[in-house]
Amino acid sequence: MTALLDLIRPDFPLQHAMYASIVVGLACPLVGAYFLLRRLVFWGVALPQASAAGIAFAFLLEGSGLERLVSGAGHERHLAILGAFAFTLAAILALALLERRGRGVAEGRVGVVYAITAAAAVLLVAWNARGEAEMMGLLKGELIAISETDFHHMLDCLILVAGSMFLFQKEFLLVSFDRDLAVSLGRKALGWDILLYILIGATISLGVMNVGPLVTFGLLVLPPMSALPWARGMMSFSLLSSAIGGASALAGFAAAYALDLPVGPVIVMAGGVCLGVSSLARMLQPR
Amino acid sequence: MPAAAVRFEGVSLGYEGKLVLDGVDIAIPAGAFVGVLGANGSGKTTLMRALLGLGRVRRGHIAAFGQGGPARFGYMPQKERLDSIYPITVRAVAAMGAVRGWEFPGRRRPARAAGVERCLEDCGVRDLADKRFGDLSGGQRQRVLMARALAAEPDILVLDEPLAGIDAATRQVILGLLARLRQEGRATVLMVSHHIQAERELFSHVIWVDEATARIGPAAELLASARAAEVFRSGA
Repeated sequence: MTALLDLIRPDFPLQHAMYASIVVGLACPLVGAYFLLRRLVFWGVALPQASAAGIAFAFLLEGSGLERLVSGAGHERHLAILGAFAFTLAAILALALLERRGRGVAEGRVGVVYAITAAAAVLLVAWNARGEAEMMGLLKGELIAISETDFHHMLDCLILVAGSMFLFQKEFLLVSFDRDLAVSLGRKALGWDILLYILIGATISLGVMNVGPLVTFGLLVLPPMSALPWARGMMSFSLLSSAIGGASALAGFAAAYALDLPVGPVIVMAGGVCLGVSSLARMLQPR
Repeated sequence: MPAAAVRFEGVSLGYEGKLVLDGVDIAIPAGAFVGVLGANGSGKTTLMRALLGLGRVRRGHIAAFGQGGPARFGYMPQKERLDSIYPITVRAVAAMGAVRGWEFPGRRRPARAAGVERCLEDCGVRDLADKRFGDLSGGQRQRVLMARALAAEPDILVLDEPLAGIDAATRQVILGLLARLRQEGRATVLMVSHHIQAERELFSHVIWVDEATARIGPAAELLASARAAEVFRSGA
């Protein structure tokens, strides 16, 4: 109980890391909902891994002088976020292009992206001793320290993502549910798809940077799966998924802190508990 | 002679390096009720998808005309194409047809909402409006997709096998609606079909798709041809 009370103390040292976990927990399910509906759940495995490879690549660039291109204090972190975003977006666009052309086996393509980016992340870290400790912590889902400034930058970005998901929900739903109808009605389906991919890329990059690929995948998939049976519309689906994600992150963080366990896996387990409760309630619901 | 609602001028269509239709030159009269007929794999769907902007036109030009502007399409796909996992209501699916452009979420448009309700009512699915689309039977889904197509208030209505694999009650509802559409002549209707026993009376014209091209003519004339008799007798 004392440990839990620590969480709400103003001088709690991991305060911003906790807030970051909750914000990522709220944001990831908003884009994860579309992975589930478009039956692209395995993109949720591959893309955070691509993001991690981008971060490892950015760490490798440190000391090459490129970090000076990113201004301000904490430029290493900004460079890492840029690397994560670039790799994630490139992977999404490659997968989307191949998906549209319909060539090969869909799961095979995702598997290839996962295998190559996972191997690349490990190799890039192995070549760069400086980033190794931070990167290995990230891959294992250990808590990453985050400054107040970085937290506010992340919050601003994710508010922008959430606002866009809300403002353009009808368009994203239309091109996801029935792309042919969207085109026949004269909507720019490709443009809406690209905007959705950019929002997905931004969310995953920020998620991976703060909570690692494992937790990001968990938060992309588990909350929407818990919410899906109870939703009666896209808005209720998004809000319920987001609420479950935020609650899982808070509960996971609190449990991990109280029990002295790694935060990431506990957040994912909390998401799993939510899914179990949702499935059980669904089974017990009278037909 | 009525003005053309759609013109195909020297159009060639295909996909994945395969030429499906070549040199299609047809003009579809405004207000016509057109059956798009031909054997399996002849290119009926390719022709309609090109009209809707869903397929690449390799050569030639397709023009569709609305009342005083670009044509507005209503489109009813085959029901199996839509995923039942989406947590959206019947009303939300029907309202998709009425989308005009980006709007601030939650903004109310009573006239448009009333139009959607009317289409649901006409298709006999208004009592299902709050149910999840994915929970409906195949026939019910087909009616909802018909309501969605009508909610677009289309100049040109494209129906892809609307009577395929549905129960007798739904068939009656859709045939009744199609007969009314023909009578009112508000929209030009293009209907891809395989089995033309029940609906042949509806067609004013037929687009006959065969041997990598398409031609249009009065229904009575084209359906009386020996080739049409052969194709429909073989059940292709």
